[in-house]
Amino acid sequence: MAQALATTLVVASLYALLGAGYVLVYRASRVLNLAQGDLLTLGGYFLFATAATFPGAPVLALPLAAALSALTGVLVYVALMRPMAGHPVFAAVLVTVTLGILLRAAIVLVFTDRTRHPLQNLGLSNPPRPLAGGAVVSTFDLVMVGAAVAFFAALFVFLKVSPLGIRMRAAGERALLASQRGINFHGVFALSWALSAFAGGLAGMIYSSNVRLEPSLGILGLRAFAVALVGGLDSLGGVVPAALLVAAVEVASVRWGNPLLSDVSPFLCLLVMLLVRPWGLFGTKEELERV
Amino acid sequence: MRGRILSAAVGVLTLVAAHPAAAQAPEPYRIGMTAAITGPFSAGYAPTYEAYRTYFKRVNEAGGINGHPVVITYEDDRGEPQRAAAAAKKLTDGALLLINASISPTYKPVMTEAEASKTPLLFGGGVCPREAFPPAAPLIFCTTSFGSKWDSRMALGFIKEQSGTKKVRVGFAAQDIPLSRIELEFAEQHARELGMDTIPVVVVPGAASDFTPFAQNLKDAGADWVFSWAPWGVEIGVFEALHRIGWKGNYILYGHQPAQDELTRLRAPNLHALTGNAMFIESLLIHAEITKLVQGQTNHPAHYMAEGWTSAMVLEAGLRKCGWPCTREKLAQALSSVSVDTRGLRGGPIEMTADNHYRRATYYKVYRWDAGKNAIVSVGGWSKLDIK
Amino acid sequence: MAALGGGYFKTSYEADLALVDTRLRRVALGALVVALLVLPRFASGFVLDLVSQAAFAAIGALALNVLTGLAGQISLGHAGFLAAGAFTTAALVERGLVSPLVTLPATALVGGVLGLVVGMPSLRLKGLYLALGTLAMHHVVLYAAGEMQARAGGNTGFTIPPPRLGGLVFRGTVAWYYALVVLAALVLFLVVNLQRSRAGRAWMAIRDRDVAAASVGIDVARYKLSAFVWSSVVTALAGALFAYHRGFVSVEAFGFFVAVEYIAMIIIGGLGSALGAVLGAAFVTLLPYVIDALVAGVSPDAAQYYVFPAKFGAFGLLMALFLLFEPLGLVGIWRRVRNWFALWPFRHRPLRASS
Repeated sequence: MAQALATTLVVASLYALLGAGYVLVYRASRVLNLAQGDLLTLGGYFLFATAATFPGAPVLALPLAAALSALTGVLVYVALMRPMAGHPVFAAVLVTVTLGILLRAAIVLVFTDRTRHPLQNLGLSNPPRPLAGGAVVSTFDLVMVGAAVAFFAALFVFLKVSPLGIRMRAAGERALLASQRGINFHGVFALSWALSAFAGGLAGMIYSSNVRLEPSLGILGLRAFAVALVGGLDSLGGVVPAALLVAAVEVASVRWGNPLLSDVSPFLCLLVMLLVRPWGLFGTKEELERV
Repeated sequence: MRGRILSAAVGVLTLVAAHPAAAQAPEPYRIGMTAAITGPFSAGYAPTYEAYRTYFKRVNEAGGINGHPVVITYEDDRGEPQRAAAAAKKLTDGALLLINASISPTYKPVMTEAEASKTPLLFGGGVCPREAFPPAAPLIFCTTSFGSKWDSRMALGFIKEQSGTKKVRVGFAAQDIPLSRIELEFAEQHARELGMDTIPVVVVPGAASDFTPFAQNLKDAGADWVFSWAPWGVEIGVFEALHRIGWKGNYILYGHQPAQDELTRLRAPNLHALTGNAMFIESLLIHAEITKLVQGQTNHPAHYMAEGWTSAMVLEAGLRKCGWPCTREKLAQALSSVSVDTRGLRGGPIEMTADNHYRRATYYKVYRWDAGKNAIVSVGGWSKLDIK
Repeated sequence: MAALGGGYFKTSYEADLALVDTRLRRVALGALVVALLVLPRFASGFVLDLVSQAAFAAIGALALNVLTGLAGQISLGHAGFLAAGAFTTAALVERGLVSPLVTLPATALVGGVLGLVVGMPSLRLKGLYLALGTLAMHHVVLYAAGEMQARAGGNTGFTIPPPRLGGLVFRGTVAWYYALVVLAALVLFLVVNLQRSRAGRAWMAIRDRDVAAASVGIDVARYKLSAFVWSSVVTALAGALFAYHRGFVSVEAFGFFVAVEYIAMIIIGGLGSALGAVLGAAFVTLLPYVIDALVAGVSPDAAQYYVFPAKFGAFGLLMALFLLFEPLGLVGIWRRVRNWFALWPFRHRPLRASS
């Protein structure tokens, strides 16, 4: 039981980081970034590349990889999302799909399909750590939970207290009004995308150190978007409870239900939520016409 | 004037045609291969593609077989049955033989197509199907070092030997593909016959992102030993998950191409790799030869090439025996009596008969990481198993 | 059918309603039909197979175009409908019911029911939420298909024998070429007629402003569901065709990427236009072969490793370029080119002309 709880927390942390990425981007561009999973993969590969360039120096490799992820977010905003402003939402979502395709193709072209292990080059190890109640997790499982907690705490402080954060919230809520008040919303949106890509990249770096790195990791992003929707696409606060809920359902279905159902359980949660309460647990109730 | 130019042209043409160097280039042996060159399973099968390419490039540079070059057309099926079906249809057109170096879900469509077009089918990288075992189907051949039933017998024999008189509980980790499931269910039954305590087979979806819950099931059931027989990703994924949750038992898996690198990376003394190919750490002459030949030509390191190299050796022997002109029937017959000295890559020669398209005897070795020596060591020497 | 300010005046209702109105168009259409009919005589099996694939893709693209382009209902679950059709056929073949006269109607029925189920959320959801709902449905359908494959298909897939209709066996490149081209033409004809029919106009009204459509008296619920049902029936039938054509059905052939390909076809072709769907289908089908030729030309030896990511990347790049720079798609380009020729030496249309 303790082990199931521990596993749920770890899985939920991964989903929470990805979910935060979805929500940040939704608040900025009103679009669901279906390439978030591929940004996770990209973060892992950045770490692999920096670790290979600076072997044995995690102090250098990790921040560099994180910075590269954030930079990718900015580039994506400037090159792809800004030109799509004013286009229908459908087209913008499709652009994110093509981004995912391009990222995956680039990764395979440069790194091939081989499974990689960045931890090898970093010179760190991943020993198991026993916890209370007989549960055992690995070191990087703990790092994942820690990273998620730290990220959300920092984000919370940033958005509530700092002037830039307040501007970001304003621009996310009403871009038109925000721009009329003199907020440079292009800069703010670029920052949202950078934070979103950073969250995804961070998750990717930890996951690839913990498990393995291969080009098909993007599938994790698809499951995490259920989390974003269940919590509410524009609610950062809703991401954490939604992540815990979806992770719990998934872990439960493996342990006590049909393990092969675990793959599809996030989508079932998503469907249920869409039918019952489409705007999620904590999202803003959007205009949804009934026919 | 026109007449003179015309006759001059005819003269030149006759000279050119009579010139020995302008003689027709020799007809090649045409072979087709469908392999998982890219995609999630490429680690186990792309090296076969690379080994064949390098091997037959050398053969062709040395003048070919019986004076004729060997031309192999490669198709990438990414481990997807649909693509393999399309590739097989495309390749059987004009090919003497079809090679499949991909995961077992691709077997059904490829075998159907080979049967329909009466093309011999050689499995050169993927697990050997039972059609290659005696009594063998006439057109199915297999050079792969691992095959159903034999591997389990060897692995469980090893577990029994290692545990001595102690009664051990054995767990089994399969991937959700039929061959893996069926094999491990057979292994479970065989383990009970050998007097060991068993846990029901744990089946893992190949695309699982987290192997921890499956490892948890094995740990909770109290497994002392776990045997896994599946594509590499699941085999090592379950082991790593078990390691992460602090399980202290022993693990034995079939050592596919990445085994050597992973044993070195993980440095886990409880991980055992059962394999039919000698690992390159043994530094045999043939290993040095292969390393030199594939230098700069392949994406994967030299120690991934053993499986494909052995398979190419068998195909070469078959083509040599077939002679020229070679037809599908003649090639099938030639392969049914081939005998190849593997020069140390395997524990012994590969000999096929009309009834046995696998080999007369198969050899295994078990490797593990030795913390004291800080190197990979083999546990004992070659074990032989006669194929009846 | 734009009036370009030229000398094409209609003098009767029949002429106005005709699908092919000018003599040039009639001649061009006739030439195209003749060319398609005699192509097997001149072209290699490879080319015929290519055209067959493009025709097959056109059927799916036209169906998706009706749902997304005409009716404005965003659907990311197209691959799920294809899978439903293919697996229904496979299930019936497993039970010995091999004849297309049995499997095709059954497939249509299953497709229709699935379309109804998937279309229900569209009554409450719009835009992004609807797209996500269809995506979730896609995963559920694939999961069901995977389970079926695990139990009955030996987990590797189902083999489908060539279809027999009466005494006719559809086997081989030429037979399938004719079958697929004829079927694609049929679906194209249906779609063009639908566009001009009451249902088509209702769909377009719903696409543009469904509140306004409701206020004009259009039963929005009924038409939204009928769009889903029509589209899914045709797509399921396409799935059945796929099963018969390939002879093998396996779940991994229907991943999300297939849905992305079909969406790319209608976007690249031009959303809402039947011609666009066909052009887009041809473009997306031929693209991998063009890349193949390019990669083989550049580096014939080390080709295989780079071929697949190159195809993948090129597809993504082209789709992004069309989305960013040419939202009207190939049809938009075609219309611009056609207008340039038709209006030359003038640059712009006279103000009187429509659309």
